[in-house]
Amino acid sequence: MDWSIVLKSALALGGCGIGIAILLLIASIKLAVKVDEREAAVRAALPGANCGACGFPGCDGYAAAVASGKAPPNACTVGGPAVAGEVGRIMGLESTAAEAPVAVLICRGGLAEAPRRFHYEGTYNCRQAALLLGGPKGCVYGCVGMGHCVGVCPVRAITMGADGLPDIDEAKCIGCGVCVRDCPKQVIRLLRRPKLVYLACASHDRGKAVKSVCQVGCIACGVCVKNCPAGALTLVDNLPVMDEAKCIDCGICVHKCPTGSFVDRAKGRPQAIIHKNCTGCTLCATKACRFKAIEGEPKQQHRVIAEKCIGCGECIKVCPVDAISMVGALGHAERLT
Amino acid sequence: MNPTKIFLGAFLVNNILLMRFIALCSFFGVSTSINTSVGMSAAVIFVTLLAAWVSWVLYHALLAPLGLVFLRTAVFILVIAGLVQFVELFLKRYVRALYSAMGIYLPLITTNCAILAVTFLNIDYGYNLLQSTIYALGVAAGYALAIILFAAIRERLEDSPISQSFRGYPIAFVGASLISLAFLGFASLFGITL
Amino acid sequence: MSVPPRPSRLRYLTSGIVKENPVLILMIGLCPTLATSTTTSDALGMSAAVAFVLIGSNVVISLVRRFVQPEIRIPIFIIIISTFVTIIDYALQAYQPSLYRVLGVFVPLIVVNCIILGRAEAFAYGHGVFDSLLDGIGNSLGFALMVVVMGVIREFTASGSILGKALTPAFYRQAPMLFLLMPPGAFFLIGILKALVNRFGIGKG
Repeated sequence: MDWSIVLKSALALGGCGIGIAILLLIASIKLAVKVDEREAAVRAALPGANCGACGFPGCDGYAAAVASGKAPPNACTVGGPAVAGEVGRIMGLESTAAEAPVAVLICRGGLAEAPRRFHYEGTYNCRQAALLLGGPKGCVYGCVGMGHCVGVCPVRAITMGADGLPDIDEAKCIGCGVCVRDCPKQVIRLLRRPKLVYLACASHDRGKAVKSVCQVGCIACGVCVKNCPAGALTLVDNLPVMDEAKCIDCGICVHKCPTGSFVDRAKGRPQAIIHKNCTGCTLCATKACRFKAIEGEPKQQHRVIAEKCIGCGECIKVCPVDAISMVGALGHAERLT
Repeated sequence: MNPTKIFLGAFLVNNILLMRFIALCSFFGVSTSINTSVGMSAAVIFVTLLAAWVSWVLYHALLAPLGLVFLRTAVFILVIAGLVQFVELFLKRYVRALYSAMGIYLPLITTNCAILAVTFLNIDYGYNLLQSTIYALGVAAGYALAIILFAAIRERLEDSPISQSFRGYPIAFVGASLISLAFLGFASLFGITL
Repeated sequence: MSVPPRPSRLRYLTSGIVKENPVLILMIGLCPTLATSTTTSDALGMSAAVAFVLIGSNVVISLVRRFVQPEIRIPIFIIIISTFVTIIDYALQAYQPSLYRVLGVFVPLIVVNCIILGRAEAFAYGHGVFDSLLDGIGNSLGFALMVVVMGVIREFTASGSILGKALTPAFYRQAPMLFLLMPPGAFFLIGILKALVNRFGIGKG
């Protein structure tokens, strides 16, 4: 029995083992990364959905950013006020919760309004179909309608409608933005929840080019721009761009648009009513109302035609005797008076 | 042997995954999305190169002169395990970006057959240090090519209508079989044998 | 006081053969399965080598488990497994050189075989010696079953014989179907086998 081989192999293998062990020991000390306990505490307080709504790469990324002071404690929209409060408490900061936006579809061209120009026989997925000549729909800017967003929504807030357009449940939507990111046509966007009116078309074509492929697409006629009382709309690249700071959600653009390309999220609209102190100056009927919803003889009590009134509130602004007020839905009264 | 032939042989003709059946567990596990496949490939290339160098040096400087060739199995695998651990610590501290890209795959690589196979084959084929480097690069690049191609196919398979029994692994295997069939076309490229 | 009957220890042996077959159900240890199933004799040889290492390492790891700290258990497992692999490596070189030439690099690759490391981690580290022995035998039989079945199919379609014994008429053996013998065929065959397993609901879950 050659003991020298046993000795040599024991030394060699043992030496390698000890060498590696020492190397790793030194490395674990010298290359140690300091772990911030606050980062760990913040990470534990987060919901862990890793949705990215905060704008950081996952909950780990956000926790690291908060701990290093680069992020506010209330950026987690999924966690809401509870998480914002907890994170603020850990970091010793005040915080109020940020309100989660809601995802909306900026396309109204379903199977009926925007017919397909060819029959697509391929993988039934928007991202795949969009690769083939821009998709089977006549309008290449619009929603492909094969439900990719339905599949990626982490809270199952999206379902496919019978009209070929996805239906986003606003109550379930947490505003994480995954559908926005994944849509191949980029026709989903995040809207601040208080905002009620938005443009639901993404087509950069105009006039006949749009009309030939979609009944409800924006033809860039500019009527909305002309009629906006707040001057919030400008036509850029054949689409009206809304300045959300100026927009008062009056809804005039929704009703003036010849193709119905705007969407009003409000569940109901208020109505104007004219009180008994009306002097009959006809300012409201002639100068303010764009929808011919006020009738009345000069010097006589005017009245609002309920079916035509859209609740925009322009008449209230011009009445010299404050004879008009809004009645009805959903907080519009506060905005418009 | 001609360096180009060594590289092409490892990269295409004798592709480690599709022709030699090595590193299959990680192949089927990681290739569900292209992003993870790219991360895994980066980690594999990185560790394979380092492991090839360290093991070659250890073999020729320590084991062979002392007549301890039989220890190579244990020594190589220990080197790889220690190396992976060290690389993980190093990246976490100094190259944070790379760590977040491929750090989670590093523990998976310890048992990756491809890296151990490279260390053994470098010895068996009698390569010098330069040839070993080229061979290691070729194998790792071949792994990257195969896994990224396969991930692209698997991503599309997810949306396709596949019958119940074939969903998951079976259709993935059939897909791998077809890619492997395509790679068979590289046989005898520039006279390199299978 | 009624005590529920202790489950039979035999299940440690039987679960590894069909219900939790490492290759077809757990999908580990694929590399040697596909690579060494070209002929039945190679398949049998590989199964024997894997069995030796698996049973040996399971038993030894189970014996020393109380002395091994959790933090360093993986390197310790690797050392124990590589010892057995080195033994079988040199034994094959000496006593079965033709088999050794065929198996090639896959003999030392047994050390990183997912089955062996997996069973060591999942079972041997936490169970007694006899149970680990049974588990090792069960999983070896499971692996052998898969690899030999594939070996039989591939050898039969590719050369019309099993274990070298001709079983088909001469005209077939002159122009056999080579597809299953080549790498693409191996992938295809295991895909079909896995689909069959799914179809007939064999295995856990």
